[in-house]
Amino acid sequence: MLFKKRAERLFMWVFFPLALLMPMFLEQNEYYVNKLTTIMILSIFVMSLDYLVGKCGLITLGHAMFYGLGGYLFVILAPEYEAVNFWVYTFYICAISAAIALVIGLLVLRTSGIYMIMITLAFAQMTFYYFSGSIDYGGTDGVFVYVKPETSIFGLSLFDLDNPTHFYYLCLLSLFNTLLFFKVLVRSQFGRVVDAIQVNPGRTTALGYNIFVYKLMSYVVASALGAYAGYLFTLQYGFVNPSMLSWTTSGTALVMLILGGIGSIYGAILGTITYEGLHYTLEHWTEHWMLFMGGLIILMVMVFKKGIAGFLEDLLEKRDGK
Amino acid sequence: MDSTLFIVQLINGIQYGLVLFLIASGLTLVFGVMGILNLAHGSMYMVGAYLAWYFVQHTGSFALSAFISAVIALCIGVVVERTLIRQLYRRNHLDQVLLTIGMIFVFNALQSLLWGNDPLGVEVPEALAASIPLTGIIEYPVYRIFVAVFCIVVAAAMYYVINKTRLGMLIRAGESNREMVECLGVDISRLYTIVFAIGVMLAAVAGVVAAPISSIVPGMGEHILISCFVVVVIGGMGSIKGAFVGALLVGLVDTFASVLVPELSSMMIYVFMAFVLLLKPQGLFSS
Repeated sequence: MLFKKRAERLFMWVFFPLALLMPMFLEQNEYYVNKLTTIMILSIFVMSLDYLVGKCGLITLGHAMFYGLGGYLFVILAPEYEAVNFWVYTFYICAISAAIALVIGLLVLRTSGIYMIMITLAFAQMTFYYFSGSIDYGGTDGVFVYVKPETSIFGLSLFDLDNPTHFYYLCLLSLFNTLLFFKVLVRSQFGRVVDAIQVNPGRTTALGYNIFVYKLMSYVVASALGAYAGYLFTLQYGFVNPSMLSWTTSGTALVMLILGGIGSIYGAILGTITYEGLHYTLEHWTEHWMLFMGGLIILMVMVFKKGIAGFLEDLLEKRDGK
Repeated sequence: MDSTLFIVQLINGIQYGLVLFLIASGLTLVFGVMGILNLAHGSMYMVGAYLAWYFVQHTGSFALSAFISAVIALCIGVVVERTLIRQLYRRNHLDQVLLTIGMIFVFNALQSLLWGNDPLGVEVPEALAASIPLTGIIEYPVYRIFVAVFCIVVAAAMYYVINKTRLGMLIRAGESNREMVECLGVDISRLYTIVFAIGVMLAAVAGVVAAPISSIVPGMGEHILISCFVVVVIGGMGSIKGAFVGALLVGLVDTFASVLVPELSSMMIYVFMAFVLLLKPQGLFSS
């Protein structure tokens, strides 16, 4: 069975049906549909980070680089006033991001621990400043997307990307697929080796596995999915700007991760919902929401390390025990 | 680029590098001794600049403000180490990153709560407001030279403390073997508090001296933090000597890049860092 833990199954049964029905409850209230769509997109991004940080132990503070690249690659590649095919560009963007991740991974993964944190950050800052300073790509203002892609496959067009509800379902589907993909990856032979590297890199090497290759592959896959999330974000809001690449994007994603529960994959969704929900509530209440958010983060790290997913698991395990 | 302009840029680069050293030295010291990566280190630089602005408004004296700010920073350092950082010694890097990100949130919120989000400025103190003429048109402000000299004095003092005093001996011992130092009867937790507080104070003092020559804006801490990361990575984590060389290199690369390739200037230090890492993955002076 793919979902072993009770908490996971409960989450799958509650979250996805609810998410499917949500647009009906919201009765086409565009603001909330858009907000939820953003949460789906961010969840994909955070989930790809969770795979790196939680499963592979590769702590990066530069994941936003790929998020931003997803958006920038689209505006670089696609013609300005012509609708391109969504799926074809999905492939292009993921493939090119993967290639970039391969090159950067070769450099970054030579280091580990604190060094890796700082070097990933530095690469992200490099792209941030590159796009902030480039006249061709609008500097700090970024670039607008005038025409959204069409989504036909073999003449069949399922989604109209200009329609917020359609876009919502596209993102939900992407999120569902991402979740399944990572679950399968974690349970596959590849995932087992990655697990083994976490437990004991020396022994894994002795068993004949090239652990660098496994780390690099993980980095490439997670980066490509991060780029996909950035691509969706750019399509949703119709623009891309350097703030997507900024280190606060990476930092916030890490915060979402700890809220949800590191290493649980589905916790990424819980964390994103919690963070965005809190942000929304606090921001309406006080201009100094960061004070409370900061306090919460500190509290989480200190006493509540396992996040919401961990809390759920503990709760349901206890019931099992009785 | 004629020779006068070259000299001006050279001094600018060195001066900027020296300010970076002041901040990066605290970062690398805390990492070297305690193994903590403090992302909120840049926030201390910001706090220093804001405190300087606040006290100059109220006392009118720059020197007095600098002194008060340094003392306050020292107190902040002690409190933060005793309450938060202490919890991190036995935790992994991820916890360090997350906790200090939380601290950044808090410091930024406090800054906007206490001082608002408008850019602020501190006037150059009167005694140092003059300029030295270099040629007919170009002159160089005395204050910038003062900043450079001040940083060199601090660097020399640090060198002296670390290499010649009892405290420095303990710091060096703590770096190489924590357990052994504890076994010898040294109160290591007090040592850690002192080191962290000194690190915080160095960053805040850098904020104070940089206040008159830069604008005081929200987010200034994060910006400088990332430049300091580059310094520390180039120099080698935990090495003060490395931080000094790294800071000067970064200062010079940044200054000359903004003259020679203005469009790409902000990213040049990162390119430079990647280049250094290709040759020496552990930095120039890794311990």
